[in-house]
Amino acid sequence: MITRDTRVGQEFSGKAKKLTWERVWAFSGGAFDTPNWPKKNIHTDLEFAQSTGLDRVYVSATQYLGHVTELMIDIFSDGWLRGGELKNARFTRPVTEGDTITVKATVRSKVEEGPITSYALDVWCENQDGEQVLIGTALGEAAS
Amino acid sequence: MAESKSAHLMLVGEEFEPLTFSVTPELNQQYLYAEEDYHSRYIEQTEAGPPQVHPGLLLNMSNNTRSPSFTLPPGWAEIHASEDTEYLNPARVGKQLRVTWKVLDAYEKRGRRWHVLDILIEDEDGVEILRRRMTNTFSSPELTRERKG
Repeated sequence: MITRDTRVGQEFSGKAKKLTWERVWAFSGGAFDTPNWPKKNIHTDLEFAQSTGLDRVYVSATQYLGHVTELMIDIFSDGWLRGGELKNARFTRPVTEGDTITVKATVRSKVEEGPITSYALDVWCENQDGEQVLIGTALGEAAS
Repeated sequence: MAESKSAHLMLVGEEFEPLTFSVTPELNQQYLYAEEDYHSRYIEQTEAGPPQVHPGLLLNMSNNTRSPSFTLPPGWAEIHASEDTEYLNPARVGKQLRVTWKVLDAYEKRGRRWHVLDILIEDEDGVEILRRRMTNTFSSPELTRERKG
């Protein structure tokens, strides 16, 4: 967790998570009680994805945005859900079923103003080959 | 009911039909599995109220493909390119949530159509939960063939 004493350059890392078919379908296939679950879309079904010109099924970026949020809550505590911001998150490389994604963050800057210390973190997601698939900037405050 | 306009033809200022939904404990737990995140804040009631809704669920349910009016021609898809996300308050299991989507910008770049959307989730008490500014583009078999040349 980040504190007022956390220094610029401090690194954080989340747990490596493999995006199995089961987890992808659970995320993008609709509620489990949906008839004919999982619902077919570009995130769940190869034939559907190919019908739109895509060459494969791509995992919804919101699925690993959720992983980013988990790490941000670990870093900033519940305060992240009351004012935390992820800015300019860009999905730089497609993510496919079977990829393993790890969220990482480094403190880029901190500003102390009275009782509040605000932090900017470089945030990114890496796949199993160390390639960045998401990059962005997190803005949050240290827990008092 | 009037036929919905295709998403790629939506103009600046136009809005998708809002989505209203409630999160059951079962749906929340489905997302805990999907996200491999089983923190107790998403499972247990506390003095602050019912368990929190997992942010992954909020993100997914606020994609504009979830709007009742979202439609695209057969063979088309919407591709999520980038976004800004602002977390405003935790959402609670059992509360009714409402998602709104408004087109902030629409433009052509490198032969593709792009949209910037303003997205807001509020709960039944008017508490703002999540705001997103999402940039999307569109894919179709024709466009893919053209790009492959």
